[in-house]
Amino acid sequence: MPDSRKGGEIRQVSRGVTTPDVDTAMPDPEIQQRQKAMELSAIGKRQPRLDGPEKVSGRSLFTDDVQLPGMLYGKILRSRHAHAKILKIDASKALALPGVKAFITGDDSEKVFANQYEPAISKGVTHYIGEEIAAIAAIDEVTAEQAIELIDVEYEPLPAVTDLRKALRPSAPRINPYHDGNVASHNIDNYGDPDQAFEEADLIFEDKLATHPTHNLYSEFHVVLVDWSFPDKLTMYTPTQSGYLFQKKLSEAFGLTDSQIRIVHLNTGGAFTGRGLLRPHHYIAALLSRKTRRPVKIFSAGDEEFLTCRAGGDNDYVVRTAITNDGVIKGFEIEGIMDCGAHAAGLSYLSAMAGNYQARLFKIKGLRFNRKCVITNQRPNFFHHGGMMTGLNAAIMQQLNRAAQQIGQDPIDMFLANAAEQGFTDIVGGTFASCGLKECLEKVRDRSGWKNKYGKLPPYHGIGVAIGSMASGVKGAFKHDTSAAMVKVAEDGIVTLYTGIPDMGQGTHTTMAIITAEVLGCDAEDIRLVAGDTETTPLDVGAFTQRGTFTTGNAVRIAATDARDQIAKVAAERLGVTPDQLVFRDRKIMVNSDRNRNMGFGEAAYACLHSREGRFVMGNGFYNSPLKYGTLAWSFGAQVAEVTVDPETGEVQLTRITVAHDLGRAINPLAVEGQIDGQIFSGMSQTLYEECETDNGQFLNPSRLEYKMPRTYEMPQVEYIIVESVDPYGPFGAKEVGEGPIVVTVGAIAAAVSNAVGAFMPEIPMSPWRVLRVIHQNGDGSGSD
Amino acid sequence: MLLPQHNYLQPASLNECLMALQDAGEFGQIVAGGTDVIFNMRLKLFRPKTVVSIRRLTELMQVEELPDGSLRIGAACRLTDLAENPIINDRFPAFSESIRSVASTHIRNMATLGGNICLQTRCWFTNNSQQWRQGKESCFKTDGDICHVIKSSEKKCHAINNSDTPVALIALNAELTIQKSGAKRVLPIADFFNDDGIEFMKLCPDELVTHVTIPPCNDRLIFSKYAARKGIDFSIGSIAARCNGEGEQTDKVSLILGSLSTAPIKLTKAAEIIQTKGLTDGAIEQAADTVRGDLGEVTNLYSRAVYKKQIARVLVKRTLTHLKNM
Repeated sequence: MPDSRKGGEIRQVSRGVTTPDVDTAMPDPEIQQRQKAMELSAIGKRQPRLDGPEKVSGRSLFTDDVQLPGMLYGKILRSRHAHAKILKIDASKALALPGVKAFITGDDSEKVFANQYEPAISKGVTHYIGEEIAAIAAIDEVTAEQAIELIDVEYEPLPAVTDLRKALRPSAPRINPYHDGNVASHNIDNYGDPDQAFEEADLIFEDKLATHPTHNLYSEFHVVLVDWSFPDKLTMYTPTQSGYLFQKKLSEAFGLTDSQIRIVHLNTGGAFTGRGLLRPHHYIAALLSRKTRRPVKIFSAGDEEFLTCRAGGDNDYVVRTAITNDGVIKGFEIEGIMDCGAHAAGLSYLSAMAGNYQARLFKIKGLRFNRKCVITNQRPNFFHHGGMMTGLNAAIMQQLNRAAQQIGQDPIDMFLANAAEQGFTDIVGGTFASCGLKECLEKVRDRSGWKNKYGKLPPYHGIGVAIGSMASGVKGAFKHDTSAAMVKVAEDGIVTLYTGIPDMGQGTHTTMAIITAEVLGCDAEDIRLVAGDTETTPLDVGAFTQRGTFTTGNAVRIAATDARDQIAKVAAERLGVTPDQLVFRDRKIMVNSDRNRNMGFGEAAYACLHSREGRFVMGNGFYNSPLKYGTLAWSFGAQVAEVTVDPETGEVQLTRITVAHDLGRAINPLAVEGQIDGQIFSGMSQTLYEECETDNGQFLNPSRLEYKMPRTYEMPQVEYIIVESVDPYGPFGAKEVGEGPIVVTVGAIAAAVSNAVGAFMPEIPMSPWRVLRVIHQNGDGSGSD
Repeated sequence: MLLPQHNYLQPASLNECLMALQDAGEFGQIVAGGTDVIFNMRLKLFRPKTVVSIRRLTELMQVEELPDGSLRIGAACRLTDLAENPIINDRFPAFSESIRSVASTHIRNMATLGGNICLQTRCWFTNNSQQWRQGKESCFKTDGDICHVIKSSEKKCHAINNSDTPVALIALNAELTIQKSGAKRVLPIADFFNDDGIEFMKLCPDELVTHVTIPPCNDRLIFSKYAARKGIDFSIGSIAARCNGEGEQTDKVSLILGSLSTAPIKLTKAAEIIQTKGLTDGAIEQAADTVRGDLGEVTNLYSRAVYKKQIARVLVKRTLTHLKNM
């Protein structure tokens, strides 16, 4: 994919060095030994989520439940054209409507950008169907909706380009002023020595895979409520993956200090990579609130949600694998063209991550990732759950399964012979302090009955294997990657944990309660949580890059240990021993050598306060990875998917999936299985079902009814295997399980379908009509090539 | 997406209801479970002045066995109640299957049989919000001058009839009782639908479908639906297949396809082949091959046309094979 187009400046980087402040090459084996030998009580129990009863009985509060006195409803006028000049916006009729309180356009928001290149409200020109061009605030929803209908806009249509390949043609119209040739970024990442890798190969496999636009499909649609009634305080209620990032972005945009901004994220109804960044509606609500001096609520009604979300776009990949005749995987070369949509934001960063993750699975010599982000007149894109890793994994795993078959090897044997392992330093420069990849592979092979099935299935039955890796937190957005926590112990022994990490459904609040309970010897049910409000909780960078369990978990562990130490000092005095001789367990503080000598946990907290010192127990902690950037702990996984394909309808049924995930240590096995279930569901859904159908930049199926996602009926039989490699850096040895599995699921299903029809599946989703097309192109598809 | 302003009436008797419909005339809209009408009103697909609810008309919520063996079902019966009705399950299992295939439990708890029969035709263009529709020219159904789905000189709306129960009811030779103030008529459901996405049913604004009557049926009958997922989904294609006789032997066949056009389609060629040759494997293949021809122009609505034709073929083949083995 050579490119010499003007402006398409290619950044060619040799990657392969992370410069840690600490030596990540294998920590002291003793630490690991100690982590492994820990006597645990709260951790490892199957703990139902603490907010479960509240959630299922409808008592949990979400943003749309919040009503403030004097609140107005905001509504956004969206572009009808994929590309057009806005000649005139006439709101006189709308403003004459009783109850309309404010009207704003790009003139009111010139300096406010939702993202680097994306204006909060576009001025003078519109870049995609659905782009924000004006907004009003009114006393109720009916008036707001009526007012929007009364605004007259005069457009002058401009030539639009909605196809990413056409956007790269020299004749393509220029879409925005920032990117020459519609190229937002073009990078070539070289890890290790890719040229040498291909030099040493006997065989080179090459395939193409395309993915299509998606929606993250969280259950809570985008909604925001801003109260900026007084100029020195902006309070925003909204679901988010990070209150901290929102605070930062808003303070930059509006010239406020961080502390003048309060983000209340209450409960967040799902995120799936879709709630990390602010969207235009967040800024628009703030602008309307500033103008009216009243709280303003905006929510995405119906199809608006599909324009507001920033999920996957059209991506085209070419993947090459270099391999020897005896199955040594030498390297990969990937070319990717990715549709950023009308405004570039974050896609380049995420694609870099995807290549980086693929480079770590095998003991390869080199990997090259040539990635180009393209601007088109489509909705701005980011990614769906699993990021770009899912599409890449689908391509690479299909290719590797087929390569093994062609050279006469069993894919699992080939994977085992090439897989990374503990202590291995990969071509990116990271060393795995813990790595259960091979154990995962062996376990899925045995549990799935692979040896009896692979190569022995009837026609149109398929089986496939895939592996993947995932970072537990990536430092890079800021100089720090800090999570902080506070633990308060009341005199009745009730513990309150203050954390800024959002619970979007992944159950992290329960995880944090379990870690606190483990340190203090309590039950998870004894822990109360204060969360979801930047004003009352300590700083937390948020819930993304799989940093929750690892980073926030470590902060919580440290905070709880601080509280424990304070109590231990008093308890030790009372029990006539030194603090290090104490064990906290079963709501008691016991002398380790003679557990009958003990006092109650509550009793000890009471004693701390009712003493001459008068100590009220409050533990503080924060954790920041000692690396300059990058990741300390990697999780690994392997999965075997089994499918049947109906050769007449093209329908794929995922019948069974065997999942092994090395997550270091399962803090809560019930939540781990829940995470795995959710990711199998979403992985299956992304691989086989989900797609925003488009027509010249307009989504044709912007609803939950027509954007096909399966239901629980389609869930396969799931075999869970939890591999605990006990990471030396993770809290009690834990690593991530929130995104690692889905990447592997997509790869495994793709490999299984490919195995069933005897051909490489070139598109995701593998909708029945696409499967049928492949079957017709490839003859009878008897399950082998 | 809010409901347009309207008056809401909830008459307590059928007579009162029919008078209300007469008063409302062409600006009236009947609502039963509201699972389709309310949603379409939110999309501003129509803005009725008066919405007349039939939810309190208990006289339309009965299931009765008539002396001649027919079953008379009130149009306001909820789909859930019908799906659980032992007489329907016992005597008309295929009809029961068609009811259970509609949407989801929650929706069937609200939706009625009359509502499912009178389900508004569907199209990607019209079944999106008003603001969404403004991105394109208005179509025939939205007072414009084109059809976005099939562009031809013919002034026809190609929205599809996506309803499931009529497919089974047509195969069962069911009849609809239609009433208006002071008048009543009976119409075979097979004649109820028009080949037009706008005027898709033969029902005047002041008329109400009050009952469905199913005559006794001793033939073999199957209803089957193909959709993208196993719940809360409209059909890509659905079929009701009926024949007399046993095994391969039959001389009376009826095949109805749903969701592939503006109205359910009667497959006459395929039925004739089976009537002549019986349910042999060869005849079934031959019958399935005629389906594409009988379908006419198939739209790309909700799936690709070429794929929908393939699904129609598969539905015919599999259902006939199933009938043979019944």
